[in-house]
Amino acid sequence: MGRTINLVVTACAVTITLLAAPLSLRADAVSDFYAGKQVRLLIGYSAGGGYDTYARLLARHLGKHIPGNPTVVPQNMPGAGSLRLANFLYNVAPKDGTVIGTFGRGIAMEPLLSGEGTQFDAREFSWLGSLNNEVSICVAWHDSSVKSMADLATQELIVGGTGSGSDTVVFPVVLKNLLGVNIRLISGYPGGNDILLAMERGEVDGRCGWSFSSLSSTRGDWLETEQVTILAQLALAKHPELPDVPLITEFADNDNELSAMEIIFARQVMGRPYLAPPGIPADRLGALRRALDAVARDPEFLRDAEQLQVEINPVSGENVDALLERVYGASAAAIELAASAISESGGASGAR
Amino acid sequence: MEASALEAAAAALTILLEPSRLAVLGAGVLVGLTIGVIPGLGGIVGLALLLPFTFEMDAYSAFAFLIGMGSVTTTSDTVPAVLFGVPGTTGSAATILDGHPLAKAGQAGRAFGAAYTASLLGGIAGAALLAVSIPILRPVILYLGSPELLAICIFGLSMVAVLSGKAPLKGMVAAGLGLVVAMVGSDPQTGTMRWTFDTLYLWDGLPLVPVTLGLFALPELADLAIGRRSIGGGVRADTRSGQLAGIRDALTHWWLVLRCSWLGAALGAVPGLGSAVIDWLAYGHALKTEKNTEGFGKGDIRGVIASESSNNAKEGGSLVPTIAFGVPGSASMAILLGAFMMHGLVPGPRMLTDNLEITYSIVWSIALANVLGAGLCLAFSNQLARVASIRIGLLLPVVLAIIFVGAFQGSRQWGDLYVLLGFGVFGWIMKQQGWPRPPLILGVVLGEIVERYLFISVGRYDWAWMTRPLVILFITLAVLGLVGPLLRNFRVAMTQGQGLRIVRPRLTSSAVFTSFIIAALLVCIRMLVEWNFEARIVPLAVTSVALLCAVLSLANELFLQPATRASQASSGPRGAPTDPPAASVAAQDNPRTVLSRAVEFFAWCGGYLVVAKLIGMLAAMFLFVTLCVRFWGREPLGRALLLATGVTAFSLLLFDQLLVIPWPQNTLGGAFPALQPYLK
Repeated sequence: MGRTINLVVTACAVTITLLAAPLSLRADAVSDFYAGKQVRLLIGYSAGGGYDTYARLLARHLGKHIPGNPTVVPQNMPGAGSLRLANFLYNVAPKDGTVIGTFGRGIAMEPLLSGEGTQFDAREFSWLGSLNNEVSICVAWHDSSVKSMADLATQELIVGGTGSGSDTVVFPVVLKNLLGVNIRLISGYPGGNDILLAMERGEVDGRCGWSFSSLSSTRGDWLETEQVTILAQLALAKHPELPDVPLITEFADNDNELSAMEIIFARQVMGRPYLAPPGIPADRLGALRRALDAVARDPEFLRDAEQLQVEINPVSGENVDALLERVYGASAAAIELAASAISESGGASGAR
Repeated sequence: MEASALEAAAAALTILLEPSRLAVLGAGVLVGLTIGVIPGLGGIVGLALLLPFTFEMDAYSAFAFLIGMGSVTTTSDTVPAVLFGVPGTTGSAATILDGHPLAKAGQAGRAFGAAYTASLLGGIAGAALLAVSIPILRPVILYLGSPELLAICIFGLSMVAVLSGKAPLKGMVAAGLGLVVAMVGSDPQTGTMRWTFDTLYLWDGLPLVPVTLGLFALPELADLAIGRRSIGGGVRADTRSGQLAGIRDALTHWWLVLRCSWLGAALGAVPGLGSAVIDWLAYGHALKTEKNTEGFGKGDIRGVIASESSNNAKEGGSLVPTIAFGVPGSASMAILLGAFMMHGLVPGPRMLTDNLEITYSIVWSIALANVLGAGLCLAFSNQLARVASIRIGLLLPVVLAIIFVGAFQGSRQWGDLYVLLGFGVFGWIMKQQGWPRPPLILGVVLGEIVERYLFISVGRYDWAWMTRPLVILFITLAVLGLVGPLLRNFRVAMTQGQGLRIVRPRLTSSAVFTSFIIAALLVCIRMLVEWNFEARIVPLAVTSVALLCAVLSLANELFLQPATRASQASSGPRGAPTDPPAASVAAQDNPRTVLSRAVEFFAWCGGYLVVAKLIGMLAAMFLFVTLCVRFWGREPLGRALLLATGVTAFSLLLFDQLLVIPWPQNTLGGAFPALQPYLK
């Protein structure tokens, strides 16, 4: 009897070892490769912005989750609203997994919508995923008469915007063109916070394109004291804390409009995307993707993220792949509608 | 101040004076001083570098560290400005104008003494202004809307008139060119690519660092190369005694220091109005309000004092919108904002009530850092002043090599080096031909903000924005400031009796240069007619006015009496900041020698670019310094190699290891990828 059990146990152990062997061999190859190496994390913007904050935070923790524990070094490589980095990663950067990067969330859709200056096929990138899934909102200041999306049919809302291509300009323009709402855009503010200040002093009535997580962390008191009314959520899925605020896609009149909105707001799902050049070895891509997933669960990382007040709700690389397949597979009519709705806002370049 | 505010201020000081926090502050100051000395590196680099170290600190120490660093970069940036005519940060370009001539006259010590004292007093005055205005910050900022900010920037732009000296037309043209440079890139309204020539590099516009270094540093270095002698010109350098004289100078002109520091602090609070223009505005203010300004631009100590007191005071001012509203006025403030968040501090009203102690600890940090920074600089300036007597053949290659890597910090692209060299050549010709350069940089910095706020103001209020009281005030001041000098010049020309006499046209090198600018402006106008209305309107207005002024200036040069021309171009009373037509070093030389030496200088620079493209920037640096010291400086090979090794090792440590710069691709590395990691 005892012998039988022993046999069974041994057999099981052997089977497991045999089954696991290729796995551990693979992991070994990856960890042999990365051991003692440096992984460069290129940031498409200069120091100080949101992409930079997220990337530097990630760089502190990513190394310990990649087999072989390479050092991860963040480097700013700004230019052309991060389009330069996209072109660099696609065409120039080594395709061995030692260079990864982060660029504007709208860049991946840029070849579809304008294509100016793009030298890449977004679906070819090795997408690693994102640490957050951005839910932006439209708000109106409390003394504006606009209290809901329905009010926008009859009353005007003056919203502030930063530069061409930024969320604060793209989103209002898209809403105006697709839904015909009564929004007047005043753009040119140096930054998002300048719009908020303009709102406080009565220069503008609202802001369309404001990350909800940033609202909660920097202007939480405005929510508590009802200084602002949230009109709509600009994303493909609702933020868990905002079950009662309508999603923008609910206002689409037909499938074509819905599809165009999906193309435009897909960038929200990508949050602040991380990726490697196309064609890196599959095992290293897998290791990098799992490392990103692991970082998002790492308690030390989460503590740092909380301290920096950046929101973490991860999106996997596989999800980004699927999203891009869907967006790029949209009907020609929907793509054209999206492109024309976004055209006067300057596309994706310039967004921070 | 209320009693509670006083209590908070006192409590904050006690907290900050704890030895461990003072040590952290001191460390920050040391980093800041180092960053300030190296051209191309500014506060932003320092903040990005230091921020990770503050994760584990308490809020007071973190801000002492970061602000200690940020407050003193504009103290030590005087060192290269005075010694080599190279601005250490973009904030010390105006210091060159008088500081460098002082060094050439053997008075580097005096310039340092005055500059550090002015920096110190300015920094403290800025902090003090911030401290006393804390209770009224929010209402004041809320009162200043986009139209008011626009009016302030237009007023700043009107300083062009003062900074153009006796060449108002050329000054206007230069400012116009600066505005054109500012508008290169993706237009904030429509996303139209303006004057980008289908180059991705130009999409984000031209970065300020290589523009400033090209415009101010390279021309000075070119003239040093042409003059071929040590900076001090063999005059025995004043050291200790000169420093004391400088300190006395700054104290004597305390009222100027105070005015310029308040100006700096107030302007620092305007978003986008960074240190790159504040020093010039203060310099212009000094020119406008001081008596006997003939010596400005030739080594008047008041020029140094005005510039240095304003750029240190700026730090206090620029914190205002950040602390009170969470609106960062600059990239470095944006990083600082990140640090606030990290320590659970939400900028806004609560910083002025619940977290008042933190706010006051920031004020104290600025003040203490300035004391420490100026003290350290004064202690070492004795040695630094002696640098002026080092042979130029040893010094110049090293300074140039650092400038190349420094300029690359602009946006870390190849284009930065082209911009450096392009503006270097252009700036040198401007200097030679008596064109004022400050208006150009004013245009570059203010152009973008003026256009932004103009569109916001008109878009929001139509033309009613012009009826707001503060707007009326500032625009009236701007018009008076602009028209006054023009009229005065015209009157002078008329009373000299030879003003409008037309003579036979003669073709001078100056006329050729002006014609070149006219041609360039015409090309610009030709390109912009295709843009859509919103993208076109402001550039069209700017280029048209610039073109008109350039044509008038050309007519003036071609047809007017030489006597008038001379008084137009050279620096007479109030004409200070214009460089004399023939640079002082070159005056005694044959123009042909000057030209051939200048060509040689820029060929060395161009050579560096070519080699860097082939084998990488640091490898090229080693080669450049070795060859340049050996063959241009005619020093022994051993010394050349030693120097080259030292500079390259230093750059490797600083730029590669510490700042982890992504070095540009080079040909050799492209051909042999295995070599790429070693070719930086």
